[in-house]
Amino acid sequence: MAPTTTEADLVVDTDRGYFVYGVVAQAPGRVPEGLTGVGGAPVRSVGHGPVAAVVGEIDLQRTTGRRADLVAYSEVLDELASTGAVAPVQFGSVLLDEQSIIEELLAPNEQHFAGLLDQLAGRAQFNLRASFHEHVVLGEVVTADPEIRRLHELTRDLPEEAAYADRVRLGELVARALEDKRVLEVEALLDSILPLTAAYSLRSGAGIEHLLDVALLVDDERRSEFEDHLEGLAEAVHERIGLRLVGPVAPYDFVGGDTWG
Amino acid sequence: MTVQQSSQRRGGGYLQRPAPSGLADVIEIILDKGIVIDAYVRVSLVGIELLTIDARIVIASVDTYLRFAEATNRLDLIEHGGGKPLDEFIGNMQESGAAKKVGGAVKGAKKAITSGDDDEERRPARKSSSRRRSEA
Repeated sequence: MAPTTTEADLVVDTDRGYFVYGVVAQAPGRVPEGLTGVGGAPVRSVGHGPVAAVVGEIDLQRTTGRRADLVAYSEVLDELASTGAVAPVQFGSVLLDEQSIIEELLAPNEQHFAGLLDQLAGRAQFNLRASFHEHVVLGEVVTADPEIRRLHELTRDLPEEAAYADRVRLGELVARALEDKRVLEVEALLDSILPLTAAYSLRSGAGIEHLLDVALLVDDERRSEFEDHLEGLAEAVHERIGLRLVGPVAPYDFVGGDTWG
Repeated sequence: MTVQQSSQRRGGGYLQRPAPSGLADVIEIILDKGIVIDAYVRVSLVGIELLTIDARIVIASVDTYLRFAEATNRLDLIEHGGGKPLDEFIGNMQESGAAKKVGGAVKGAKKAITSGDDDEERRPARKSSSRRRSEA
């Protein structure tokens, strides 16, 4: 959206604002009594129609983004996720007052948020990371490709500053070979896992061992089946690939625009 | 994390199920995620810009290729491993590999955030908000 006016920073005449954690369905008791968040401030909801923003007061003078703040934010969202649907709002989102929360955040997006919460209900996010065992796949690559093997043997006993072009070429070929391997492995892993999930969102990653980083949305009633399946899959691939599963966590990756197809 | 405690490792143990308690885990989970509130109605906070570092790494660079070549040529440790047991070499490689990961930008972000940890001093805040109503 192109700016229609010149942006002008206005001076805020208060030191207090509202840190916004997420959006939930408006209902009595939805935010647990005694829940505290960033800066130790009590967490409460500000409602509008069917939805409510979960917020806590924050001192605008204070440096945010410290370890305790990040952990507090994620703990509030996980607590909310453990008792119902919650749509996380990006860390560090602060609005000035209750009027802003209602008029700028909730009212314009009321239907969107309500629909989002419907889709998230009864589901939880898991983050799955698959990594190659570096020494195994590099060994495979060197063995399989004669040109890689030749460059490897040519450069491995030379000092780092020698054979520069050959080493760049070697690295390029290895990177491509790993990428080809990655494409096949990712396809196989996703084919195995996605039938058990309601939605998925690929995350970016890089590095020699990087294979797959994906957020998975799993129906609560299929969670055991999902976890058992992954355990079996991890055992089946463990000689070449390591699987790491984090969660359940709040559905951070499933509140954007494109993941629902 | 609260939710986490309900579900821990089970089965054969090949699947890693870490509890995301560390700062690095939390950053990884939340980085750049969540509903984005229009910048024009948000209040700027000190320190938040650290979290917006783009975690994506450009693969196709000479520097990256050289790291891949370096990793490949470390295979010599295994092939010509001398007297040490293989497992020990692999363990060492994985340690040094972790320290040289290509994903340096993410590590940089974590470090930057950690360095401000427990820093209670009050810095001059941006007492300004780029608050602006859309006049469309």
